[in-house]
Amino acid sequence: MKIENLTVRARLRSPWESIDLGTALARQYWLPLFLVWLLPAALVLAPLAWLLPEHPGWSLFAVWWFKPVFDRLPLFMISRVLFGMPVSAPTALKQFFKQNRRDWLAWITLRRLNPTRSFDMPVTVLEQSSGAARSARIGLLHRKHASAATWLTLTGIHLEGFFLIAAFILIYLFIPEQVAANIDWLPTLRGDTLALEWASNVLYLFIMAAVAPFYIVCGFCLYIGRRIELEGWDIEIQFRDLAERHQRKQQPRQHGIAGGSGTVSILLFFALAFGSLTPAPEVKADSLETPQQAQQHIDEILAAEDFHRMEQINGWRLKEWESKEQKIPEWLIKFIEWLFNRSLDTDDASDSNWGAAIARLIEILLWVGVIAGLIYLGWRHHDKILERLRWRYKPKPKIAAPETLFGLDIRQSSLPDDVCAEVQRLWQAGEKRASLGLLYRATLSHLIEDFQFHFGDHLTESECARLVHRRQREPREGLPPVTAPLSRFVQQLTADWQQLAYAHRNPVDARINALCQEWQEVFRNDC
Amino acid sequence: MLDTTYNVETPEGIDLHARAAGPVPRILAYAVDVLYRTLILAALGIGLAFADTAGIGIWLVCSFLLEWFYPVFFEVLRGGQTPGKKAFGLMVVNDNLTPIAWGASLVRNLLRFADFLPFAYATGVIAMTLGRHFQRLGDLAAGTLVVYREADKAPVTLPDSTPLPPPRNLKQQDQQALISLFERHNDLSEARQQELANLLEPITQKRDSAALGYLRSVASWLLGGRD
Repeated sequence: MKIENLTVRARLRSPWESIDLGTALARQYWLPLFLVWLLPAALVLAPLAWLLPEHPGWSLFAVWWFKPVFDRLPLFMISRVLFGMPVSAPTALKQFFKQNRRDWLAWITLRRLNPTRSFDMPVTVLEQSSGAARSARIGLLHRKHASAATWLTLTGIHLEGFFLIAAFILIYLFIPEQVAANIDWLPTLRGDTLALEWASNVLYLFIMAAVAPFYIVCGFCLYIGRRIELEGWDIEIQFRDLAERHQRKQQPRQHGIAGGSGTVSILLFFALAFGSLTPAPEVKADSLETPQQAQQHIDEILAAEDFHRMEQINGWRLKEWESKEQKIPEWLIKFIEWLFNRSLDTDDASDSNWGAAIARLIEILLWVGVIAGLIYLGWRHHDKILERLRWRYKPKPKIAAPETLFGLDIRQSSLPDDVCAEVQRLWQAGEKRASLGLLYRATLSHLIEDFQFHFGDHLTESECARLVHRRQREPREGLPPVTAPLSRFVQQLTADWQQLAYAHRNPVDARINALCQEWQEVFRNDC
Repeated sequence: MLDTTYNVETPEGIDLHARAAGPVPRILAYAVDVLYRTLILAALGIGLAFADTAGIGIWLVCSFLLEWFYPVFFEVLRGGQTPGKKAFGLMVVNDNLTPIAWGASLVRNLLRFADFLPFAYATGVIAMTLGRHFQRLGDLAAGTLVVYREADKAPVTLPDSTPLPPPRNLKQQDQQALISLFERHNDLSEARQQELANLLEPITQKRDSAALGYLRSVASWLLGGRD
């Protein structure tokens, strides 16, 4: 047993923490421990089922009674795991009789009902002690951990029982309802249930095998926890670590001293060579000749007060908090008084009826609770409520009009004073695209400025036109209405502009004149 | 190195350590709570026996409230400890080790229903056993954890020793081990203590009682003792 190889952290633990460590450890190695427990137990139960098919209860009792025998293999395995030498399940199974040699009779007779079984078992199996030595050892171990070990056993017993019931309920829950309704429960009530009892035995065997690793490992960890406490394993591991680190540090230092002399001589040479050229730095420290002296000097300085200044400040200070004394409002007191008077008035007729009086009192309390709850909720969320109320009156932020659409500058300032004349002039000059573009820009600009349309960047020309059309069909409150001629004009202009812009098809000259005229008509008021 | 500690690092880089509590103490703590609740309900039942039908009604309301809100009440208002948990030194905390609030407590206690299935908290016990930090389903849903409350350390009587400055290069764990050796002078046998002290012979250059005396002096210094 080498304590340095311990695979769990050695530290002082309370008994409960040791049990938790056992749970974590058992979880990690559950499957091999489960198998190692289950196989021998199943090998006992199977012949019993064959020999005594009439007595399922006694067969199970026999297996249950021999639990200490089956407990030893998982204990042996986990002890090997703990010290970093795990053994496989088949290897452990081969050791079954070897592990059971010591004190086996005592464990299945006198000590069978021992409430601290899993805690005491390591003393027999791992320490191999028996007789007076064992009693003394157990006495020492029990001094602090006996109660936790007993509670562990009690918990284990109850868990096994509850898991069996839970397993039955689980199976029952999976029976379809129509099938369950037709089951004849009479035989189970009469006790004529041999098959069912054997099924329950097998189930219980599996549950015992499933719980056993946890019980055994928890008891074992409790034992280990007690030994860590009694023997200072945590201190031993840390001290060994410290000594090892110290030794590792010592070796290179010795090498360093041997190799360092060469460097020193080179330095000395340079110092001699250039000593006359550069002024030697003034040495402030006392002359320290050997490394030992230097070491001692360093130790003295480190031990001095400068490196161990400690300040301890104690005292009571008042926390800064505002006293929130709230007076109970007058009306509330009156209200409560009124409630009580009311209940007393109505009670006069039947003051023998205590139940009704209590019910009324509770009714009042409930109402008070409801009102208090509402007030609390209102107070708690008053910020949000006020904010919500204010939100209603907040005007919608004005959306900034876009400056360009489809790459066209639509600011009012970019337009000439007389749009139509400019359009005509450009058209005559042959700049047809610029001419129709100007008309379209002017239209959009007016729609945005005068009719408060909001054309987002994401809209296409047709969608803008559709928005105008929709406004004409369903006028919206608060927004200027669109007349039918305007809507028609926008549709036509958009179509012409799209033809020119994307298909390079020029409209005829007469069309431009017509559009200009229409433009002047629809935006007459603004021009 | 297997251990049951639960570590959290805060955004400020501070490591917080807690020790997660496993199924066995939690089952026992729950049993204590059940006992208390049963006692309260029995007392209420006797007290309300005179108010026949109304009494039964009140008793049923009380049993409902006790079943569902007894843990919530104690967990939120009594530092995460129901009386049962207090008896075993346990407390419920959020999984970042902050105190538990109403929401998390309600979730973890309402989900007792799921943990109870199919009978007697079988699901909860299995979840606790398999989970890395012993959380049942309600704990997983609410993001909570049951940990051991750090108990106040009882003052220990220390043996007399003149404080001596420690050797250099002692790590924090080394210092803790030295102090632990000093504080456990009553629990460890004298021979064992000397054996432990001898392990540090390469550093202390002393053996047996001299080594132990020196280590005690150093521990006394580490604990703040000065001449």
